[in-house]
Amino acid sequence: MPQTTIYVSPRSLGAPDTRPPAVATTDLARLFAGSPALAGVSLRVDGGRTVALLGPNGAGKTTLLRLLATAIRPSYGQASVDGLDLARDPALVRERVAYLSHATGLYDDLTGRENLRFAATMLRTPDPEARVERALADVGLGARAADRVRDFSAGMRKRLALGRILLGCASLVLLDEPYAALDREGMSLVDQLLVAWRGVGVTVIVASHSTERFESLLDGRVTLERGLVREASGTGVMSTPPSLPGGAALPVAEAAR
Amino acid sequence: MSTLSAEARIALAIARKDAVAELRGRHATVSTLFFAAVVLLLFGFALGPDAARLAEAAPGLLWLAVVFAGILAVNRLHLLETDDGALEQLALYPVPRRAIYAGKALAGFGVMLLLGLVVLGAVAVLFAVDIGGAWLPLLVTVVLGSAGVAAVGTFYAGVTVRLRAREVMLPLLMLPVLAPLLLGAVKATAAALAGDPFGELGAWLQLLVGFDVIMIIAGAATYGYLLEDG
Repeated sequence: MPQTTIYVSPRSLGAPDTRPPAVATTDLARLFAGSPALAGVSLRVDGGRTVALLGPNGAGKTTLLRLLATAIRPSYGQASVDGLDLARDPALVRERVAYLSHATGLYDDLTGRENLRFAATMLRTPDPEARVERALADVGLGARAADRVRDFSAGMRKRLALGRILLGCASLVLLDEPYAALDREGMSLVDQLLVAWRGVGVTVIVASHSTERFESLLDGRVTLERGLVREASGTGVMSTPPSLPGGAALPVAEAAR
Repeated sequence: MSTLSAEARIALAIARKDAVAELRGRHATVSTLFFAAVVLLLFGFALGPDAARLAEAAPGLLWLAVVFAGILAVNRLHLLETDDGALEQLALYPVPRRAIYAGKALAGFGVMLLLGLVVLGAVAVLFAVDIGGAWLPLLVTVVLGSAGVAAVGTFYAGVTVRLRAREVMLPLLMLPVLAPLLLGAVKATAAALAGDPFGELGAWLQLLVGFDVIMIIAGAATYGYLLEDG
């Protein structure tokens, strides 16, 4: 991979001691059909940290990421990104957050290049043509950029979705199982991106079943179980017990969404 | 002004993306054009071979075919967004929601306009209706009618896109709302074809303009809530 350039909006950053926490949640809960997938998470992640979000299937990892990305609204509790409340300022939060989910959000009938050009317009990327070509090269898809995404493998789709993140200037990057479906080179690409994001002070939260692959890149780790924080450890990560009535006793949805 | 031009650029990018995907995948146009043709033929069979009767019923048949096929078209255009989480990604871009609505509605308008013009031509041929003398008011009626169906359809396709029973729910929700448009478009078409003997064409076109404006404003104001999953 060529030397990746990560663009971060200056307004998102500041001196570490004056910067609000990258993520702060208080009793954050989300119900699906009456059952909590997230049952009251109070968590603080400092800016510029790389944090693993761990836990078994259905623990609430994806739900927490989707809440922070503003893809879904909380049922209870509060959350903020860079000091901006998710419920009050979702539009401002979206400018600061990039989210890679299980689904890649790509259009099958567009080519790889067209998908990124569309994303560049939506992200109001400056100098979009050059940035799109740069992102395609960074994720190793320069040679396949003119092919329709319909013909891409799952790993290529994931690479292209990572390229889309490079077009923005997020201060918080949320990655849901980023290594899934990637070959060795693709995994190495994720490693390099994690290093690059850390280098420019971008906060990264990586949901994963295991940290074996990126242990050395982590500042902290948060383990979820049945919608609650079981353990938070490391630098720049702090969690307090839930204060929701019933808290841990709430039934947790079998499959967190 | 700069905000408006930025939003217009976003809306155009969404419409262009839908147009490119449509030209390559032909998700909406081919199936809906065939559907409209079949609807017209079946109406023709149902009414019998009486040419005068068919010509008299032509405005109603035209707009019923456009509305029925339009429901299919807007649904197909929104299904593009269900590709691998595309709708969620679209919702996460830091852009105004009304620009997203405008882009999707613009793409819908393009498909509807094509559909309306083709169906108008088909009605002229199948039911022996002379449209040459009234082409301008007919064109205005088709443009306004297409815009109304696209405005309503984009909103309700957003409501139903995540539902399992969307194919059933979309017409159930759309058809009652489209009743004023159907009335206005049929009356305007009939008046235009007859040479507007009672001077009512303008009033029916005004009804269509009013309908379009209300539906576009309502859709732009509320579409954002539909993008968020609960």
